[in-house]
Amino acid sequence: MSNEYLLSVTGLKARVEEKTILKGLDLNIKPGEVHAIMGPNGAGKSTLGYVLSGRDGYQVESGEVTLDGQNLLELAIEERARAGLFLAFQYPVEIPGVSNLEFLKAAVDAHRQAQGQEPVSAKDFLKQAREACKQVNLPAEFLKRGVNEGFSGGEKKRNEIMQMLLLQPKLCILDESDSGLDIDALKVVADGVNSMRDGQRAFIVVTHYQRLLDYIKPDYVHVLADGAIVKSGDASLALELEDQGYAWLAERRAQDPVEMHHEVNQ
Amino acid sequence: MTNWLTETVSRGIDASDWLAENRRQSLLKLQDRTWPTRKTEAWRYVPLGTLERLQPAVASSAGYSAEAIPDLTTLDLVFVNGELLSLPDNLPAGVTIEPLAEVSSRQQAWAESVFNAAKPDRHLFGLANDVLAKAGVVIAVAEGVQLAEPIRLLHWQNGGEAHSRHLVQLADGSSATVIEQHLGDAASFNTSFAEYLIGARAELQHYRFALQTGAAINIGGCHFNLADHSQLRSTLVGFGSDLARLDVDINHTGEHAEVLQNAIYLLAGKELFDLHTNVEHMRPNGITEQNVRGIVGDHGKAVFNGRIHIHRYAQKTLAELNNRNLLLTRTAEVNTKPELEIYADDVRCAHGATVAEMDDKALYYLQSRGVSEVDARIMLNFGFINELIEQIELEPLAAWLQAVLKDRFASLRQQVQGV
Repeated sequence: MSNEYLLSVTGLKARVEEKTILKGLDLNIKPGEVHAIMGPNGAGKSTLGYVLSGRDGYQVESGEVTLDGQNLLELAIEERARAGLFLAFQYPVEIPGVSNLEFLKAAVDAHRQAQGQEPVSAKDFLKQAREACKQVNLPAEFLKRGVNEGFSGGEKKRNEIMQMLLLQPKLCILDESDSGLDIDALKVVADGVNSMRDGQRAFIVVTHYQRLLDYIKPDYVHVLADGAIVKSGDASLALELEDQGYAWLAERRAQDPVEMHHEVNQ
Repeated sequence: MTNWLTETVSRGIDASDWLAENRRQSLLKLQDRTWPTRKTEAWRYVPLGTLERLQPAVASSAGYSAEAIPDLTTLDLVFVNGELLSLPDNLPAGVTIEPLAEVSSRQQAWAESVFNAAKPDRHLFGLANDVLAKAGVVIAVAEGVQLAEPIRLLHWQNGGEAHSRHLVQLADGSSATVIEQHLGDAASFNTSFAEYLIGARAELQHYRFALQTGAAINIGGCHFNLADHSQLRSTLVGFGSDLARLDVDINHTGEHAEVLQNAIYLLAGKELFDLHTNVEHMRPNGITEQNVRGIVGDHGKAVFNGRIHIHRYAQKTLAELNNRNLLLTRTAEVNTKPELEIYADDVRCAHGATVAEMDDKALYYLQSRGVSEVDARIMLNFGFINELIEQIELEPLAAWLQAVLKDRFASLRQQVQGV
């Protein structure tokens, strides 16, 4: 089993403070696959990314997660990253005073060290970083600036993709990387992602809109509602959702007394 | 050195000097002063016993050579144990620099008008410096002259006692950059005060790097008068020593003057750094922004007292002062006191002082990219002060300062919380 799946999530329950957000989530992803996760606000889409990345305050109650056969949940945040997990944030944080270049080199060197490699030379790294900037249409001067400091929303999203290009993760989670982007910026993000599709690397694309999936073709689409995946299908499901919205979820719940009970309690 | 003040007063003045009358007046004022104790507010956290107990090393100037700032050409004036080594030749037109001790009769009138124009009498060691200062320069930049090359006043001391005074006048519409740099770690004492008169529409870029450490005692000040529409951008950097004190006065004597001052201190061991700033908004429409940040480790002690005084007629003033501190150990100490005194009713002012907490979101972000928690914490701590360094317009100077601060920060790395 573990050889077959790059990521395997089984019965994952997680809470933030006292509130359980993920309520038994199952998700299996094979190398090379693109999985889109859609669903209404508050369903737990962003929480999934945070839990997988190991963010403080997101507590796993039960369930198992393996990445490439390795138990992800017992690793520290940075170890998960070095093991090949990458979360492109919906709202990347601004860190004035820490230069993008210095931060990126530290990140790349940490990955290399974990793989038993020497740190990259400053000169080689600058070259790589400039190329990555070019690929996502960010001026190279951005490397000198503070991490995300004063970047526009679109620039921050492209900066996330740029980091992804440099770190070459095995599994990329894009948390609403399309929100707030105009069509040109959306294409830049999608091109960055598509350039990294090599049949091995897998992607989880969290989005509200079908639009991004026109550019990044998913193999599977899942509907995440109330902390669990309630429906899965191929790319056509996204089109269906675009048409129908999520009203059907409420009807589905109404037919299920247990769900209804849960709903009332909330 | 028992009661340094009494001893200083008894030394008297050099009556032959062109500043003799000014020195005499300051001596009279000094005679009325008492030696500060722990109960003296301005010296509350700074034990002057350190100065009284000082056994200065024997000063020796042999073999010293000034270190250049990489990729930056500066007009250097190097003071070694209070002796000016040489004056730069080939000064650009419209710029004069003369040693304080040998000011030509042509320059004396304006130089005298600058003396104590910006520095108020309340600074005890400022008055002492009036009486004692032999080293120093007077610098004049003529109307409309844009001096591209920074002037660097480099002070190095390895013993004894030295007192320097610089008088700088930027005439209307001129611009210049002045770097005051203080180095040395041997048992020694110096006072070093500088006064700047910034003319109408003139622009001064000012740096003071108080980088003495160890047993070097340094008490000094930077004092500025700003005429109409003038601009001051100032960066102060302090390393602590057994006793390091800096007093800053910024006087908005004209309207529409703009000031941005950033200050950084980085303390280790048992070092002490005491920064007092005082901003006088005497005229309307002035702008002042002061960002003061410090990192204190070991048993270090920082003192910051920041006062902004907005006079009755200084309407439409914008003034902001903030002081943020990172304490690396339980034994590190910071005493911070922002003071706002506002007598005008149409102004915008803000002040604040905090002991900063590590930003958890930033820490998570760095870790989520594979950076270890230790490295992330160190990066964020250094970023806290680096943010102010990045605002320095002279890139080679910013790069040099980053290296100097990183080097010092390296000794504090082990103390970064969580490391």
